[in-house]
Amino acid sequence: MRDAVETKSPLLRQPTTMEVVNPRSALLSNYEVLTLLKELENDHLERSKTAMRIKKEEDSLSSSTSIGAAGGTQHTYHHNTNYLPDISENLRTIQVEAIQYLSSDYLPTNSQSPSGISQLVKDLAPYDLTKAEKLQIVNLAPTLPVELYVIVEELEDRLGDSMDAILSTVKSSLPSPLPPPTSPVVTMNGTTEQPQMIFTSTATSLLQEPTTTTMTTAAATSAVWDDMDAEAIIDDMDFIDHGEGAGIEGDLDVEDD
Amino acid sequence: MFSLSIIKDTVAVQPSQFGVPADEAITAELNKKYANRVLHDVGLCICVFDLTQVGEGKVRYGDGCLWYKTVFRMVIFRPFISEVVIAKVKSSDEDGIRLTMGFFDDIYIPTAYLPQPSTFDSNERAHFWLPPGEESEAPTSQQLLDSPVADRMYIDQGEVLRVRVEAEDFYDDEPGPPKMAEGVQVVRDPKRAPYNIICSIAEQGLGPVAWWLEAQQTGEDDAMQEG
Repeated sequence: MRDAVETKSPLLRQPTTMEVVNPRSALLSNYEVLTLLKELENDHLERSKTAMRIKKEEDSLSSSTSIGAAGGTQHTYHHNTNYLPDISENLRTIQVEAIQYLSSDYLPTNSQSPSGISQLVKDLAPYDLTKAEKLQIVNLAPTLPVELYVIVEELEDRLGDSMDAILSTVKSSLPSPLPPPTSPVVTMNGTTEQPQMIFTSTATSLLQEPTTTTMTTAAATSAVWDDMDAEAIIDDMDFIDHGEGAGIEGDLDVEDD
Repeated sequence: MFSLSIIKDTVAVQPSQFGVPADEAITAELNKKYANRVLHDVGLCICVFDLTQVGEGKVRYGDGCLWYKTVFRMVIFRPFISEVVIAKVKSSDEDGIRLTMGFFDDIYIPTAYLPQPSTFDSNERAHFWLPPGEESEAPTSQQLLDSPVADRMYIDQGEVLRVRVEAEDFYDDEPGPPKMAEGVQVVRDPKRAPYNIICSIAEQGLGPVAWWLEAQQTGEDDAMQEG
């Protein structure tokens, strides 16, 4: 019933179907995706906590005051009116699995920082690298010549001399050669594989952080990509985010049907 | 690996969700519809990035839902051709190796894209690569299987590989309109994944990450000894 688009009564004019405007409007680095997913995860955890608390309060309220039939109906009313958007299983699954992959110890993503990445992209600018190559350097953070060799085509001909310089730039963009000891996430999965544990500890450590900082970090990293190759994502220009809920109140005069 | 796609769609917000701020309700509805699904020729949808345009919510005849026309950006997983990615070995068989990224596991390395000479060891259920020796001729798979086990470089399950994306393959599972002549008989092809990625490790620097780490370290040790 929820998939209303497919199960509408035949009386209805078929609503406009989905349309892909631009299959690849911009590229995202692994770090940006991880930040976004963690933010969502954070939101979700906070929400489910609030929901639990409200439910408990309601339960204790209804049990302490012995309300009759009137109280019962009120309770069901509350139950039906959701003040939280319901989160689908599909989203939860992919969110948890993608966070696990992106924060695994064989990817550098978890130890990267927005300032490190923006510095790295700036430092890579003088070398004649394509956008795709830069993106892969950011995603994989190659520290060995052989790792750089697979990413950059004809490495020796193009930048034979500056190879070591690039590698040291990448190294300096990471906090330290080893994953930082401050994050319990990395130290834990360094030796043993405990995917569920990794995930929960990521979430809890994030909880302590104010959400605003994670929001700004995501903005900072996307700004880097915008600077780097402004003309490549020029078609993105029409889609400026006006912030939360913009367009709902503002676009009432949009001609629809 | 990831990119943003701009998608236009009309979504229905159920009356039970009217208490939620509209943007959150719409995002949740879009995520319900798209997250963890493959869009043909687009890629695997991860989640909604942001809403870029939302029209006025309208009630249609027949239900109490609010229908919103929206334009939104979706985070899509679709590594580009020739991109280098990291994945784990999920399983191996005679035809090649299947890899997983946790959230996506239709990644394959056919035998043609394995480093040569290599062959499949059915006892270990794993492919192995034999570092080339003195003989100039390419050994047959039988000769490879007779080789001393100590020399073999196995690609075991769970090993982390660095691979290059060589090809992608979208398969539309849509059955199409039913044909009246055939009646209601339904013939199903064996289930095929909607999105497959074909990868290669037949190149310097590709393959198990640990091999190259070791190679690098021994190389450095040799240099140290010489110097």
